[in-house]
Amino acid sequence: MGAIITLSLLAILVLYLGLYNAKGALLPVTIAGLLLALGFEISLWNTDATPLYNGMVLFDHLALSFSSLCIIVTILIVLLSKEYFKAISDNVAEYYSLILFSVTGALLVCSYHNFAMLFIGIEIMSVALYILVGIRKRDLVSNEASLKYFIMGAFSTGFLLFGITLMYGATVTFDLEGLKQYVIANPQGISPLFYAGILLILVGLCFKIGAAPFHFWTPDVYEGAPILITSYMSTVVKVASFAGFLRLFSTVLVPLNDFWTPVLLTICIITLFVGNISALMQSSFKRMLAYSSIAHAGYMLFAIVSLGADSASGIFTYATAYSLASVTAFGILIIVKRKVGSEQFESFNGLAKTNPLLALLLTIAMLSLAGIPLTAGFIGKFMMFNAVMQDYHIILLVLAAINAVVGVFYYLRVVVNMYFRTQEENSKVLIPLNYQLVFFIAAALTLLIGVYPDFLIQLN
Amino acid sequence: MSIFYFVAFLSIFFALMTIFTKNPVHSVLYLVITFFTFTVHYILLNAQFLAVVNFIVYMGAIMVLFLFVLMLLNLNKDTEPMKSTIVKIMGTVAGMCLLVTFLGAFRVIEVNNEAITPHANIGLVKNLGQVLFKDFLLPFELSSILLLTAMVGAVLLAKKDTNKA
Repeated sequence: MGAIITLSLLAILVLYLGLYNAKGALLPVTIAGLLLALGFEISLWNTDATPLYNGMVLFDHLALSFSSLCIIVTILIVLLSKEYFKAISDNVAEYYSLILFSVTGALLVCSYHNFAMLFIGIEIMSVALYILVGIRKRDLVSNEASLKYFIMGAFSTGFLLFGITLMYGATVTFDLEGLKQYVIANPQGISPLFYAGILLILVGLCFKIGAAPFHFWTPDVYEGAPILITSYMSTVVKVASFAGFLRLFSTVLVPLNDFWTPVLLTICIITLFVGNISALMQSSFKRMLAYSSIAHAGYMLFAIVSLGADSASGIFTYATAYSLASVTAFGILIIVKRKVGSEQFESFNGLAKTNPLLALLLTIAMLSLAGIPLTAGFIGKFMMFNAVMQDYHIILLVLAAINAVVGVFYYLRVVVNMYFRTQEENSKVLIPLNYQLVFFIAAALTLLIGVYPDFLIQLN
Repeated sequence: MSIFYFVAFLSIFFALMTIFTKNPVHSVLYLVITFFTFTVHYILLNAQFLAVVNFIVYMGAIMVLFLFVLMLLNLNKDTEPMKSTIVKIMGTVAGMCLLVTFLGAFRVIEVNNEAITPHANIGLVKNLGQVLFKDFLLPFELSSILLLTAMVGAVLLAKKDTNKA
C-alpha cells in the first residue's frame, strides 16, 4: 500500500513542480519517488500476505514481484525521457505525472483482490494512457491513435464491467475469495450467468493485453503514439494486465478449466499466427515491434492455458525478458529516428559500421525477443513451452514452435540490415549518457537472466 | 402492480417513439421522457439513490449535452445520411438476436433470488453510503485518482499552446 500512496502523492507533487517551473527537478524527483515505491514493495516481501482493507488488495509474492517489475521498467523508460518529452511538448510535468498515475493503476491491477479494485486500476492505467497517446496535439496520426485507443478501450471496459456484473449476479460478491468459495461449493450447479461472466471478462482482459482477435487497436495505436509511450504501453501495461489475468484465473477459475481452456487455446493460437505473420509483412520497425508484442502476448497466454504452480514464475520471467528487450529496442529506435528521421528497417542500414556498440546492444535485444539461448528471452520461452508440454497440448506446442521460427526470421532482419547493408552517409551518432546507462542495464540483465535464471524463477 | 404496467407501457411507447421519429431533436426529447419513466421504475423498485442519479445525471446532464451536440452539428432531416438496406437488415437481425437472448435469460431468472431478498433496502441512500464508506472505502478513495487523472488530461488536451502562436 505504501507504494501506491507514494506514487499517487508523487504524481501530484510533480504537477506542482511543473506549476512552479522547476523543470530541472522533475526527473530526479520522479526517479527518487519510483525508487522509494520500489523500496516499499521489496520491504513487504517477507511479510505474511493477507487481504487488506476489507479484502480489497492483497500484497502476495505475485503482486509484489509484478509491481516491482512495473516500477523498474518505468524507471528505465523515465530515464530515457530526459530530452525526449521536451522535443514534443511544452507540458513536461504533466507527462511525468500522467505516467506516474498510470503506474499507480498498474500496481492496483497487480494487487487487486476485489473486482472493484481491478476496475479502478484498469481505468486509472488506461485513462492516463489515452491522454499520453494523443499528447502531440498537432499530429494527426497521434490524434487518431488516441481516439481509436479511447473508443476501443472504453468499449472493452464495458465488456469487463458486464462480465463482473454477471459474476456478481451469480455469486453476490466482488471478492476473489468469495468467488472462489462459490466455485468450490457448487461444483455442479454453477449458474449460467457465471459462465457468461467469465467469457465477457476474458474479452475485456484480452483487449487490454492485445490478444487476437481483440488486437485491432494495437498496431495503429502503437504506431501513432510517441515512441516512449509505445514502449511504456507494450511493457508496463501488458505486464500489469497479465498479472491481473493470472490472479483471476489462478485463484478463482482453476476448477472450471474445462470450460475456458478451449476458448483460451483458440485465442492463443490465433494470437500467435496473427502477430507473427503480420510482423513478417511490416517494413516499419516500430510497427513490427507492435505486431511482435501481440505475438508475445500469445506466448504469455501459454502459462494461463496450462495453469499450474509454475505459471506465475513463467509469466514473470517472460515478461521481464520481453520488457527489457522492448525498452532497449524502442530506445535505440528513438536514437536512430533522431538521426535518420524514419522508422523503416532501412534506417538501420550500416549501423554496425558507425555505431558498433549500438548495433551490438540491439542485436542482444533482438536475440532475446527471438528466444535464442543465453538470453533472457530463451529462458522465458523455455518455461512457457515446458508448461505447455507438461499439459500435453501438443498441437499448441507444434504451432508455437513454427511461430518461434517465423519470429527469428523477422527479428534477425534488422540485424542483417545493421551488419550487412551499407549506407552512404556515415556519421556517428552520439548516444546520450542516460541512454547508455539504460541500455547497459537492460543488456546486462538480459544476459544475466539468460545465463543464471534461477534467481528470478525462485521469486514466485 | 397496475402502476408498474402503466409505466412499463409508457417506457416502451416512448422508446419506440425515439426510434421512429424523423427529427433528431424530437428523438432526443423522447429519449429524455424514456429515461424519466426509468426513474419511476427505480422508485418502484425501492432504489432511491439510483432514481436520483438517473434523474440528475442521465436526464439532466447527459441528455442536455446530447441536445447541444445535435444543435451544434446542425443535424436535421436534410443532412441525415441515408442508411443502405443492408445496414438496416443487419441492424434488425442483431437487434432481434439481442431480444432472443434477453427472453432466454428472463426465462431462467428466479424472482425470489436469495441474492436480492435480504437486501431489500440496499437502494436507500443511507445504506448505500454505509457500504460505500465502510466496505468499499479504498476503491472510493482511489476513484479520486481516476478523476484527477482525467481532469489533468482534459486540461492538457484542451489548453491552448500559448507560446506557440
